[in-house]
Amino acid sequence: MSHETAYFPGCSLKTIDRAYDVSTRLVAGDLGLNLVEVEDYACCGVGELKGEGLKSHYLPGRNLGHLLQQGQTEVMVSCNVCYHELSRTAYAWSRNESVGTEINRMLEAAGEPGITETPSVRNTLEYLVTVVGLDKIAQRVRRPLTGLRVAPYYGCLYHRPGAMVSSIQVAGEDPERPHFMHDVLRALGAAVVAHPAETTCCGGKNLLSDERTAGKLTGRILSQAKEAGADVLALMCPKCAGGLDALQPRAIKAAGEGARLPVVYYTQLVAVAFGHSPEAAYLKDMESGSFDVIRRLLQAAPKPALV
Amino acid sequence: MPKGAGIIERSLVQDDHILEHENLVMDGIDVSGRWNTMLKSRVHADRDLDAWDTVRQNLVATSIDNCIQCGMCTAGCTVAHEVEGFNPRQFIYWVRTGRTEELKNQADVVWRCVGCYICTHHCPKEVNTAEVIETIGQWLRTVVPERMDRAFHVNHQVYRNHLISRGRLNLPLLQTTFLRALGRQNELFAPEMKKTALKMVGDGRVLKTLRMGRPHRWRKNRQVLGSEA
Ligand code: SF4
Ligand code: SF4
Repeated sequence: MSHETAYFPGCSLKTIDRAYDVSTRLVAGDLGLNLVEVEDYACCGVGELKGEGLKSHYLPGRNLGHLLQQGQTEVMVSCNVCYHELSRTAYAWSRNESVGTEINRMLEAAGEPGITETPSVRNTLEYLVTVVGLDKIAQRVRRPLTGLRVAPYYGCLYHRPGAMVSSIQVAGEDPERPHFMHDVLRALGAAVVAHPAETTCCGGKNLLSDERTAGKLTGRILSQAKEAGADVLALMCPKCAGGLDALQPRAIKAAGEGARLPVVYYTQLVAVAFGHSPEAAYLKDMESGSFDVIRRLLQAAPKPALV
Repeated sequence: MPKGAGIIERSLVQDDHILEHENLVMDGIDVSGRWNTMLKSRVHADRDLDAWDTVRQNLVATSIDNCIQCGMCTAGCTVAHEVEGFNPRQFIYWVRTGRTEELKNQADVVWRCVGCYICTHHCPKEVNTAEVIETIGQWLRTVVPERMDRAFHVNHQVYRNHLISRGRLNLPLLQTTFLRALGRQNELFAPEMKKTALKMVGDGRVLKTLRMGRPHRWRKNRQVLGSEA
């Protein structure tokens, strides 16, 4: 099966969080998805202009305009922040005519293509579950993650607010207790560890400006996942990774040693289960010791069956 | 005992509205002890409804009109459990009833919203609470900037400048600019930061970031995005 879809990586996946981008592409390739990048992308706006009303739709609007201009109406997004921002603008465009007109007026003033129809913004996780399907994912597994206890962590913007991030609604994901990541991890053979912090906020928006709050929030997530018995925490947002992985020492400072826990992108786990090496899945880019955990797991497991 | 410790919903009452008496005799009866705390009655004479208008002007936040003060937003709020006095339901109440002074007093609290959208998601009246709170925070930034932590201003400015002038985020640069502007550059040498930075230089991520460039024809985009609303 080969299936083409547009793909929007965004600023952080294109640079420092390449691990998420690369692993998304590896997985997509293995599953027969042909990803076509949205050309000439701009930042999604990371929500920083939300206090400025319509302006907050400019950057996402520009990206959606470029998507439609290249003849595509559907875009797959891995980063939760980008997914939320693009969904929010697509939603505002479709729901409120005057807002839609204003967005296009701004784009036109800058000589950019406008939004001509409602694009379908899809989250990679949801796309894998609904378009590819769990059966197919399970079939593609070459090296089951048997014995690895994984705590799924969704963050906020994948499923909130329900109405705005419409693709997961359409897909039948539960916005109160999302479970698609649980399902994918199970398909990989991992042991899914449920924990109370699956959808609590990491405080990423104020990671630098309000360190105290961010430290407490990240500290709590990590320690609850660890207390529940997890070997690793799997996440799906580079902003969450900033606080939970790169700045984990601050979470440990706030919540104690109980918050020390290796962190990975769920796509990295999928890539490893599909037979890619931890190096190829860029696990070395993670700061919290996840490379070693995965390498040890693979050393203990029998060699993958030849395809 | 902290002032007014026995008051239920203590965070809703301001310090200078609490009167505590060592010995209190009322109408000849000694009510010292359990009954020694009084609240000044709240007289609200000068309603300032400009704030409501300003927040409403921001199209995104007109949903504030629908609020029925049920408190679902505060009940689930991430920050309400972490920062004393953070109460989105109350901030909306203050805006709508023109209690601008109260809002200004809490300016350094309001901006701590983390944009998690739990409030919006649970609001039964389709108020986009998260964006209303963000809008109130930005409004406070224009009226009482001096009452808000400098880290908030610098963070917002750095992001805004970055978005407008470059169209893409250079995250290492953003972080460095932020810390420098606050005189916190020594944090760049904190072990966790240094380790990551050196690693990213070595494995090519810094180079990748330097090469990210701007979107095409960015100059025109910049004019539109940077113009005053
Ligand atoms: S949940 Fe909605 S209606 Fe209820 S107080 Fe909050 S904003 Fe108002
Ligand atoms: S978006 Fe802000 S106000 Fe709403 S629940 Fe989250 S922290 Fe609270």
